Amino acid sequence: MGITIEKVSKAFGDFAAIKDVQLEIPSGDFIALLGPSGSGKTTLLRLIAGLESLDSGKILFNDIDYSNKTVKERKVGFVFQHYALFKHMTIFENIAFGLKVRPFKLRPSNQEIKERVYSLLKFVQLEHMADRYPSQLSGGQKQRIALARALAVEPEVLLLDEPFGALDAKVRQELRHWLREIHEKLNITTIFVTHDQEEALEMADTIVVMNQGQIEQIGSPDEVYHHPVNAFVYRFLGRVNEFIDSENEVTYIRPHEVVLRKSAQGNSVPAKVLHVHSVGSLVRIQLNRLDTNALFEAEVNTEKYQEIGPLKKGDLLYATFSNLVAFGNEQKEALTAIL
Amino acid sequence: MVKKIKPQRVLPGFGLSMGYTIIYLSLIILIPITVLFLKASTLSLSDIWQTVTDDRVVASYKLTFYSSFVAAVVNAVFGTLIAWVLVKYQFPGKKIIDALVDLPFALPTAVAGIALTTIYAPNGWIGQLFEPMGVRIAFTPIGIMIALTFIGLPFVVRTVQPVLQDFDRQYEEAASTLGANSIQIFFKIILPTLFPAILTGFALAFARALGEYGSVVFISGNMPMKTEIVPLLIVTKLEQFDYAGAAAIASVMLIFSFILLFAINFWQWRISKKHQVA
Repeated sequence: MGITIEKVSKAFGDFAAIKDVQLEIPSGDFIALLGPSGSGKTTLLRLIAGLESLDSGKILFNDIDYSNKTVKERKVGFVFQHYALFKHMTIFENIAFGLKVRPFKLRPSNQEIKERVYSLLKFVQLEHMADRYPSQLSGGQKQRIALARALAVEPEVLLLDEPFGALDAKVRQELRHWLREIHEKLNITTIFVTHDQEEALEMADTIVVMNQGQIEQIGSPDEVYHHPVNAFVYRFLGRVNEFIDSENEVTYIRPHEVVLRKSAQGNSVPAKVLHVHSVGSLVRIQLNRLDTNALFEAEVNTEKYQEIGPLKKGDLLYATFSNLVAFGNEQKEALTAIL
Repeated sequence: MVKKIKPQRVLPGFGLSMGYTIIYLSLIILIPITVLFLKASTLSLSDIWQTVTDDRVVASYKLTFYSSFVAAVVNAVFGTLIAWVLVKYQFPGKKIIDALVDLPFALPTAVAGIALTTIYAPNGWIGQLFEPMGVRIAFTPIGIMIALTFIGLPFVVRTVQPVLQDFDRQYEEAASTLGANSIQIFFKIILPTLFPAILTGFALAFARALGEYGSVVFISGNMPMKTEIVPLLIVTKLEQFDYAGAAAIASVMLIFSFILLFAINFWQWRISKKHQVA
């Protein structure tokens, strides 16, 4: 199902959570709403689900105005960050809930419900859990059951609010792949909210970067990462070094784009090592520019590190910043606002 | 050698705190109750049987349990409603209503009894409205139930309120995205979550009502076989210096109450165990 969001605004008291947002989501897309907390991404998701009411604008599902439809009528699958499994029901009853609350005429027979629940349990690979209660499951299992429950009602849109936010790093990694696979199999329009740029880059077909209730950029992971339209998007999508030159112009470079050498070359800049720490296959080096005294970070792989290292505090290196990016001065205000 | 490190506890030593618990319970509950049974046993078995199966006594058992049960059910329903209003809505005077709920705890029960009798008597403010319809409230079992409802009100409200306060909206939202309507959300999601708390409040209100004396004696009219409650019969026996007879009636009452409360607690334990395991 395709979704059109037309000039939608929503305020909570004096706080404008969503300001005049315009967004077109094609059917079958896998889309990430990415932004810092307070950027309005969760509010936008809840507006689509009908869990919040619009102040102005329209939300269309397949070109039909759904703005005034109730949550129940929208037939969306919604997955909550903290699972929201019904604690007093078994896993089976949780998944069957959406089918059992249907009006009598539309309700499948008990046998059909049973078959459907078991096929979903099989789909999320937790068949043996049917008779357990949610409190007996791990976080990752709970989230898989929450997804099975949302899918039981055969929604045409799947909405996920920070679905992996409460899980530990390893489980999160597994579930990302798994969710991606599920989307490929079912091919329903899927929208998920996240503040983790890695998660968005890894999973989504389209990323919508949000800030202060507005959309900053819409594009594929490649587009938003390599061609950010402004400083906010650039900063939010990865680690970043920021330099201010004598004319007060701000330029940026990602740590992995900084080239370090042991000897001066071309327009390289001398820098002193402040701190070295290795993170798995990467080594991050904090340095101090000797010309402007600015601090910056460089990221090299272990091979490269062996070429220039081993390094210790106080060592002198030469850094080349060949890919400096500038967005012009008009972006600076927005930038200081988030700092 | 590995030395075993004892896990740190907040209170010192299991032995000390358990010993204190047992002594405390003995002095306050166990010894007085034992003495009660001992006093009753000074009568011969046939005397005990005769005392406790006397028609007037049996009628009072029935009345006490029946009216206490009705009062506790009424409190379970309307106490839950009051807790709902206090948690879910914002309105002026909410703090005052919240404080009013505790009043039955603070008010001397005799005062409550006299006040209730005054307004529910056939010529009282409310009583006179029902009199033309042929409904008498004071000096009938209905009056007893009203008094017992009054004194049991805080229990259900105060047990349900915190549970309702902690109830996360996301469960209601999840149910609505799955297509449930508000009635289904209330009965399938909210009520089952509140049920253990309602049951606890019900048990407390029921237990309180079984032993209530002060407020009931004024509104009941104390007519033998009709509106006499068990505590009144016990006091009557005491006034006639029939201590053993009073103890025998009290013992039967105690056993019944204990069985009932135990059953309710067991039921409550079963429900909460189901979905609260760590």
